Amino acid sequence: MIGIDIDIGKVIAIAVKDIKEVFSSISIYGPMIGVPSFFALALPVLTYYVSVYAGPTLAGKLSSIAVTSSSIVSTSGLVFISFFTVNVLGPIFMTMPILTASVIAADSFAGEKERKTAEALLSTPVKASELLLGKILASFIPTLLLTIFVFGVYGFVTNAIVYNGFGAYILPTLPWLMMLLSSPFLALATIGFVVLVSAHVRGTKEAQQISTLLVLPILVIPFMSVLGIANLDVTFFALLILVLAFLDVIIIYISVKTFRKEGIL
Amino acid sequence: MNPKKPRKGVILLERVTKSFGKVLAVDDVSVSFSKGLTIVLGPNGAGKSTMLRCIAGLYKPDFGSIRVFGKDPYVSSELKYGMSLLSDNYALYDHLTVRSNLKFFGRLNGLKDSDAIETASSFLDEIGALQYIDSKVYQLSRGTKQKISFCRALLNDPKILLLDEPTAFLDAHSSEFVRNLILRYEDEGRSVILVTQKLDEVTRFNGRIIVMRQGTLVEDTRIEELYKSVLSGATVSIRLARPISLAVARGVPGFEWANSAVPTVLKVKIRDYKGISAAASYLIGKGAYITGIDYIEPILSNLSIGGTK
Repeated sequence: MIGIDIDIGKVIAIAVKDIKEVFSSISIYGPMIGVPSFFALALPVLTYYVSVYAGPTLAGKLSSIAVTSSSIVSTSGLVFISFFTVNVLGPIFMTMPILTASVIAADSFAGEKERKTAEALLSTPVKASELLLGKILASFIPTLLLTIFVFGVYGFVTNAIVYNGFGAYILPTLPWLMMLLSSPFLALATIGFVVLVSAHVRGTKEAQQISTLLVLPILVIPFMSVLGIANLDVTFFALLILVLAFLDVIIIYISVKTFRKEGIL
Repeated sequence: MNPKKPRKGVILLERVTKSFGKVLAVDDVSVSFSKGLTIVLGPNGAGKSTMLRCIAGLYKPDFGSIRVFGKDPYVSSELKYGMSLLSDNYALYDHLTVRSNLKFFGRLNGLKDSDAIETASSFLDEIGALQYIDSKVYQLSRGTKQKISFCRALLNDPKILLLDEPTAFLDAHSSEFVRNLILRYEDEGRSVILVTQKLDEVTRFNGRIIVMRQGTLVEDTRIEELYKSVLSGATVSIRLARPISLAVARGVPGFEWANSAVPTVLKVKIRDYKGISAAASYLIGKGAYITGIDYIEPILSNLSIGGTK
């Protein structure tokens, strides 16, 4: 069970150790940073070429959907790229906090079990609360930083390309910023989920595979947008953040209540 | 083995039971440990390591209670400031340096980095591993990892030291260091529980021994008493510095086997512990030079002491 008195020094020691471990193995941090960074660079470029060559045709079909950039000169190509950047690619980038958090949290919790290091860790005078908080921070902080970095790179590259082609900046928009704002909630939900499953899995891969299932609901969002089922505006993301915050409270509460140190042995 | 009179000791186990799924690892064990060295001996699957981990507060017993200095080790993290567990699994973080590992465990034990490194360095130096302090753990041999793990276990200067096959991967020099340290801790009035399945390891100490089998405690005795039981009808291996003739070998009381026509290794079945001296005397009388006598494991399969199993 979780106690309330926490030695913050131990929490930081655990978090720093876990972060050091993750970033000392290129097999863990390589794909975690490399894949989103590649997407952040490559997807705006691809989108731009699609918008230039296929944009006019596609934009006609999207004309009924609001484009939320306020300072753009409307051209059909620009309409397309503005829509595609926020409504289709935006939700794809929302999976980044889930994927990153699942990699780090799985390594942090199930990794201790897999590498048989938990025994030494749990033999020290560390409380379950300190252990849990340290490991949550170790997953949450790099996830948040990486997500901000990826959104930043994506926004910068998109603006640079669009400005070059259409003479306008399309990012940031409020819905796009709210997507970024949803990432801590998505990361927390993922970490809580990993804590829940870590006691029941044998290793990192299992924990990771189970937790990445959380990306599936996010991947539905672009389809909802394209099909006109949902308008990805400020209200949509405000509601999404509220729902995620509620889910976070429930998942973290259950994780904390059910967490047993021997679960990671 | 569950006397009804109240037990006294630093560590008290009352009717402790622990299962993993359908496997009953520890079955209704009641025992107390005082200051000094106690050896827990038993074959694989006897429940020794599980009992040790219950004492260390890693596992919560399904039934029964454990008290260390009057507190429940599963609940009280404070207890662990004075308690350490070392198992044959080195349990270090492979991608971190030895120094980072030691600092990390020092911090969790409430030590300053400088104090942790200073304490660890003196042990590492004694055990011949100080030169690896800035190496990543994965770069080291299994034995070196075990040495570092041992130093980690001593960081908090424990009053209670729980050891599970601590010399399993160590060389002779390091094993001797560990044994001397155990004896030093015993002299200083600390509690040391040493779990092993090797009789050879047991015979290097003198004192209390507890024998476990199939999750139960079958004997609580002294090491010298154990010899009478465990060496009855056992086979020992005698190593010689120079070959002897097969005829001489066959003359050894209880001779069973020789490694060649001009043997340097003999297997001899002894009636009891006195049989070792008889065999050795005979060989010395015939001009042989003995370099070592080993118990042939798993000698513990012969254990029927206590009569419960």
